[in-house]
Amino acid sequence: MNIKGLIYLWVLLLSAGIAHAQEGSVTILSPLEGAQIMGGQGPHTLDYKVDPGPNGDHVHVYVDEAEVDILRELEGSFPLKGLTPGAHAICIKVVNKAHTPIGVERCVNVIASMRPGGMGKSSSPMPGY
Amino acid sequence: MVQNLAYALVQVIHNLGAVAVVGVPVCVLIHTCGDLAVSRRAAWVVLVAWAAQAASGATFGAVSYYFYARPPDLHAIALAALFVKVACAVAGFSLTALCLIMGRRAAPFFAGTKLWRVLAGLGLTAITAAAVLRWFA
Repeated sequence: MNIKGLIYLWVLLLSAGIAHAQEGSVTILSPLEGAQIMGGQGPHTLDYKVDPGPNGDHVHVYVDEAEVDILRELEGSFPLKGLTPGAHAICIKVVNKAHTPIGVERCVNVIASMRPGGMGKSSSPMPGY
Repeated sequence: MVQNLAYALVQVIHNLGAVAVVGVPVCVLIHTCGDLAVSRRAAWVVLVAWAAQAASGATFGAVSYYFYARPPDLHAIALAALFVKVACAVAGFSLTALCLIMGRRAAPFFAGTKLWRVLAGLGLTAITAAAVLRWFA
């Protein structure tokens, strides 16, 4: 590969890196996809790390598509309380200053149980989200 | 950059409207009670201000829709605050428009303090709800 080719490759990689940085990203460190977690009052936390990108400002947290909180810290833990037993989709979406999701988001599907590692069934679901 | 500029321009209109819907009734209460001509002119300003509030509020959603093909995501508390703002705008605009349409029959309202107290109250309520909407969305 000649010098010209190397420069071309370098520019290509650089532009790809810039494009990625401009998009922003959401990383859910915990819980992992398909994890079984304690329902009710927990204990369990949503551990996350967010790069809002140039158009993002803060993030919204959703449980089963219902917004449950606003997080202005781009890295941290959010207590998952009040999950009823069963399957839930937990999502973090980057939003702009006007609270509009900009398309940068991550979701994990979890199963909440009443006992650690078990699938609790309850006829009267705990008050939750 | 462009979307921030769009939001900022809409915010300018919204802020000016907010100043007017509260400031004008308060000014009338303080300075011009009894002066019918001044009160009627002030009512026109309030009417335009409430219309600007409603239009700019809707434009915030339109800007979001233009850039991301969806409206803002609002928490239940913020949604309640938005409802209060819309209710205040509808009430403020309707009340002012009604008094202006009534002409001479509305003279006692323009000259008195009751109308202006209500309008100031609606403006203050809307601004308070705006703060809740901003930070609880």
